[in-house]
Amino acid sequence: MSAYSYLAKVLVDKYDVDEDKIRPEATLTDLGLDSLMVVEFLFDVEDEFNIEVPDDRAEFETLAEAATLIDELIEVKGD
Amino acid sequence: MGRRVFITGLGLIAPHGEDPASIFDRIYQGDSAVRLVRSGTADFGSDLPLATVDFTPKDRISKKQQLFMARASQMAVVAAEGALQSSGLLGEGQSIEDGEIGVYMGCGLGGAEILQEGYRTYFVRQSRRGRPSTVPMIMASGPASHISMRFGLHGPTHTYSIACASSTVAIGEAFRAIRDGYLDTALSGGAEAMLNDGSIAAWERLGVLASSHMDGPERSSRPFDLERTGLVLGEGAVLLVLEAESALRERGVDPIAEIIGYGVSSDAFSLTEPHAAGQEAAMRSAITDADIEREEVQYVNAHATGTPSGDPIEIEAIKNVFEDHASNLAVSSTKSVHGHLVGASGALEAAITAIALQKGRIPPTANLTHPDPCCDLDCVPGYGREAPELTVAVSNSFAFGGSNATLVLRKV
Repeated sequence: MSAYSYLAKVLVDKYDVDEDKIRPEATLTDLGLDSLMVVEFLFDVEDEFNIEVPDDRAEFETLAEAATLIDELIEVKGD
Repeated sequence: MGRRVFITGLGLIAPHGEDPASIFDRIYQGDSAVRLVRSGTADFGSDLPLATVDFTPKDRISKKQQLFMARASQMAVVAAEGALQSSGLLGEGQSIEDGEIGVYMGCGLGGAEILQEGYRTYFVRQSRRGRPSTVPMIMASGPASHISMRFGLHGPTHTYSIACASSTVAIGEAFRAIRDGYLDTALSGGAEAMLNDGSIAAWERLGVLASSHMDGPERSSRPFDLERTGLVLGEGAVLLVLEAESALRERGVDPIAEIIGYGVSSDAFSLTEPHAAGQEAAMRSAITDADIEREEVQYVNAHATGTPSGDPIEIEAIKNVFEDHASNLAVSSTKSVHGHLVGASGALEAAITAIALQKGRIPPTANLTHPDPCCDLDCVPGYGREAPELTVAVSNSFAFGGSNATLVLRKV
């Protein structure tokens, strides 16, 4: 599963986000997640893809940016 | 004398269910909610009589909220909603209009199962990657905070973590705050959910838990009975709405019962052993606080957990406080059917006592078939008793660590 589809699935399944609201340009704040929820959300993502998001890279704004970052980290890990 | 304080709503998530009237009926009939429960794994577990709650947050708390709430908090917010609705402060599909409501909660271990999971990750999976939300989920103050956030209550949000006396102290402190004019309305009670494998194993090692009784596990909680073997742990959340007389008159609602006194003391004696002198001090202080004569008290909802050391000490303390009047008292331990909810026990027993006053019915000590000669008061064995004249009742909670708390309630 691509990072973007996984992010979308977790947001819908675990965070009650309305599927219609999930768009590449939406931010996690737009989708109703507070700072603790974002940290927990990233924790899920890290576990799923067996990656670690470095603190200085966790400053994405939108879902598309998050997905790009995660795809990149997956690729780096694969090298 | 300060302002009068009334109980105007009850919300229960209890071993006997959620509806206050039917819970009381079952308790009145001596119908036990204790069952044999397997904890731990097949080869590393234990079968114990416990009073678990049949509760699921599904369809009651959003999935997103559930992720960040330990079981005690989940039960607490649902119980709080029930209490607010039954008081009339929260209508169906409405929100609270006056947010200046206080939240006074008791809780012992907070998110005990979340802490267990964190330790499992660290020690068993040998990983430092525990859940980021572990810390805010294990706080004993979690249930109070979640109630405040869920209903937009901006008054003081306090948690008293005083072992078995937690929620009695919470109710007593809320009562005082209202009586003294610091606030008009409070949600007060307790929540506890510590029936996870690690916590149960720790309790077992303390040597105070009841083993299953030969007549069936539901008969295992036996306060005042010679065949008692210890206490039966329970879980649950119980919330009371407390209101100043002026507030409930303004709303035109009928209260369930009045709280008229609260007393506390410390044994300064032992971490686990009870001490009659301290218990007596709490009861005397509560009776003085209520500004009544001790002869006016008719019923004592005892702390009595069913341990061989605890029950006789409480009976001794009651005899010392009430002297000649002790033999006129009805003294029962409803823990015989709902177990010991630790941080939520005092709130459940205060709720039961309030309903007892409202209905004029004294709940029994179930499973009391072979009375301990040391417990030679009228302990209302087996089945409840009609008591239309019941007017004043006392509810005791005596904690590990020697903190004692007593509430005095009156019929309205």
